[in-house]
Amino acid sequence: MNRLRDPQWFLILMFLGIIASVPLIQTVIEARRDDGVRAFDVFSQAPTAANLRAYERSLEAANWAAQVSRPWIQFAQFEWLKDGGEKAVIAPEGWYFYKPGLNYMLARIEKAKPAGATNDPLPAIVDFRDQLAARGIRLVLMPVPNKESIYPDRLTSRADALLGVVAPRTRDLLERLRAANVEVIDLFKEFHEARQQTGAISPASLYLAQDTHWSPVGVDLAAKAVARRLKELGWVQPGRVEYGERSVPVRRLGDILRMMQVPLIERRVNSETVPCVQVVRGDRGELYKDAPESEILVLGDSFVRIYQQDEPRAAGFIAHLAKELKQPLFSLVNDGGGSTLVRQELRGRPAFLKNKKVVLWEFVERDIGLGLEGWKLVPLPPAASPSSPGPVNNSADVNEPKKPGRLN
Amino acid sequence: MVFTTQVFVFYFLPLFLLVYYNLPYRWRNVWITLGSYVFYGWWEPWFAGLMLFTTVMDFIWGKVITRPGATPLQRKLAVVACVVTNLSLLGFFKYYMFAAETLNQILAAVGSQQFRVLQVILPIGISFYTFHSLTYILDLYRGHATPAKSFSVFSAFVALFPDLVAGPIIRYKTLAEQLHEREHTVSRFASGVAIFIVGFAKKILLANPCGVVADGVFNAANPCALEAWVGALAYAFQIYFDFCGYSDMAVGLGRMLGFEFLKNFDAPYRSESITELWRRWHISLSSVLRDYLYFALGGNRKGEGRTYFNLAVVMVLGGLWHGAKWNFVLWGAFHGLFLAFERWLGKRSLYAAMPRPARIGLTFLLMLFSWVLFRADNLTAAMEYFRAMLGLGPVGSVAPLLAATIYTPYHLLILAVCAGLVFQPLQAHDWSQSPVTWPRTALVVPLFVFSLMTMFSQAFNPFLYFQF
Repeated sequence: MNRLRDPQWFLILMFLGIIASVPLIQTVIEARRDDGVRAFDVFSQAPTAANLRAYERSLEAANWAAQVSRPWIQFAQFEWLKDGGEKAVIAPEGWYFYKPGLNYMLARIEKAKPAGATNDPLPAIVDFRDQLAARGIRLVLMPVPNKESIYPDRLTSRADALLGVVAPRTRDLLERLRAANVEVIDLFKEFHEARQQTGAISPASLYLAQDTHWSPVGVDLAAKAVARRLKELGWVQPGRVEYGERSVPVRRLGDILRMMQVPLIERRVNSETVPCVQVVRGDRGELYKDAPESEILVLGDSFVRIYQQDEPRAAGFIAHLAKELKQPLFSLVNDGGGSTLVRQELRGRPAFLKNKKVVLWEFVERDIGLGLEGWKLVPLPPAASPSSPGPVNNSADVNEPKKPGRLN
Repeated sequence: MVFTTQVFVFYFLPLFLLVYYNLPYRWRNVWITLGSYVFYGWWEPWFAGLMLFTTVMDFIWGKVITRPGATPLQRKLAVVACVVTNLSLLGFFKYYMFAAETLNQILAAVGSQQFRVLQVILPIGISFYTFHSLTYILDLYRGHATPAKSFSVFSAFVALFPDLVAGPIIRYKTLAEQLHEREHTVSRFASGVAIFIVGFAKKILLANPCGVVADGVFNAANPCALEAWVGALAYAFQIYFDFCGYSDMAVGLGRMLGFEFLKNFDAPYRSESITELWRRWHISLSSVLRDYLYFALGGNRKGEGRTYFNLAVVMVLGGLWHGAKWNFVLWGAFHGLFLAFERWLGKRSLYAAMPRPARIGLTFLLMLFSWVLFRADNLTAAMEYFRAMLGLGPVGSVAPLLAATIYTPYHLLILAVCAGLVFQPLQAHDWSQSPVTWPRTALVVPLFVFSLMTMFSQAFNPFLYFQF
């Protein structure tokens, strides 16, 4: 005990106590759980760089000290220093933005350009369009703007002049898509125009304040834009199902706040009230349901899922597009996988393309640079029926005459 | 392994110290070697094999050079062969791709067929341990050191994990005695703990947040002038606290094992000229370059013109030592030019007549510009960045959004703290020389706990100097 009265000994013992007690307590915790002590896992694997990194990550993830202290530090940074860490940017008036999405917008094109050619969205999109065309199916592409593309002025007052500006890399892709005759629904234009009409601080925001996703207002606008374009192109026959609407407000804590994984923050921030609008069949009063036999297949990510498969259900983009087109649709959704994963999923489901005439492919803007699995070329599933219709001209201009020798 | 990771702090270090202090003295160097190979091989196990190869080779060359009865010519041939082999290894792993790609660019420019460039992985810290090992051979050749008495001593010197991957570059002659006999005292261990914690805090609390700001700006397309300056400033702080923090941790770990390393940083941003800066920044590299390269080229003994030339050559090679990119060559040339110019002015800066704060400010300003060369991905990006700083470049259409990510209260607070710390004279190395007292203990224990807690919440934790 006398040694503890010496500051040198005290410091040494405190230091050694801290660095030794954390793994010792961890060992005790894991031993009591009877699920094996992670620290010993290093002896059960070949010492390759990949195994060692995985081992290190597993130790870090399980560390009791980290689990206890991390929320407090993150909460302090969030609450007092307005720092949202890796995932969030905290903007004034209760708005939050997804940091990787913002970084995508800011990045230099050469910096953001992926190394492999297959990571360029254009070849993957054109290849998908051409494969569909060979089966008589037309592709409509719908990149959904990042929230920060539509609400830059919510991030910083210096961005007031940025309304209507599209990030360089997105602009580059949109131009190349146009040049490749890919049919694109330009939600950037639609949303920017809507913002100019409603003003900067309209209560009817197109995106949720705490979330990366669009609001019911944004959903409705997008659905109307797609329906309008499909009708203009004549790619879809008008349906005859009458749908009605039902207002259902829901409380929702934004995904940006949830991504921080700090319960203290989630408790501190009030969730948003989202005025959802469910779509119901006019004749039966049932909530909208997908129909596998539909001629339209919607592929997409969480923008398609929100309000549709989530609470309150049948209030998302698909239901509202169905209402506009007066016919049920069919859909395949992969959260965060709008670039490649959803097409890979489609490949395993040949029946999903049966009877289809139009595929609407939605992905979020940031996936242009940050898409999970990049932008791989993915073959379509084997044809479900031998009597598939012949190839179609799937180019942007439907009136354009077929070019000889070109695969339509 | 990285000092500021959980696996090092909570597993490697306590286990290493536990075994080290329970081993008989004569086995401790062997344990240092074994532990250091685990530490180094943790990145990629084959890296350890490469280091072992270098160590065995240089140990044998050392024996050849100091063999009784060896003629001067034999000694000279041996040292040349050793230097060539070491630098060839370093050259292959570090510079092959750079040289091959440069050659391909030239071939493309003249319309010739390009060849396939082999993809070579750069072993972390190869520049540091190659230099460690080379200093042994050169010191033996010059008669400044006696050969290691055993392979375990030499391998412990080369592999010594505290300074293995990011320095400081410690010469054999500095550590030779300590490798054979060193004191393990409570006061040394405690001062080691204190400086380790300070270095740890510098890295976690200051360098990493500054790195987030710097990366945000340097990765952005055409930032506004103000943000470009803030980005350069953040990088200047990041690289200083990153590297200086690592050096402090290395010194602290060395002390825990009974070693005493030399100071590597001495308030470099308080320098009043570029000449002074190089006496304060990465002191171990400057002195190695001076003693083994500048003097070997003739130093200042071959006339004024040759002195300027030597300074420039040394700094260009020093730049290239940091990495195989034209940016580093230009960064070295920038410093070489200023060193030669200040030498011509009589070891004074161009602005020597100005008041001291202005001299410090202008030197810091020159450093900021040179850090842009150091940090930018390539020369084109560096030039764009300079244009942005000077307000001469186009401003990106979405550039104002950068403000939202970098001007948070958190980042502004960190930048302000950094600015306060870099311009004050007290250095951790000097501070830790005096005995640990209760006030110091009361300072560093909570600092360590807070730094650990912050480390748990950080995803961004690179060590800049590992790539060199």
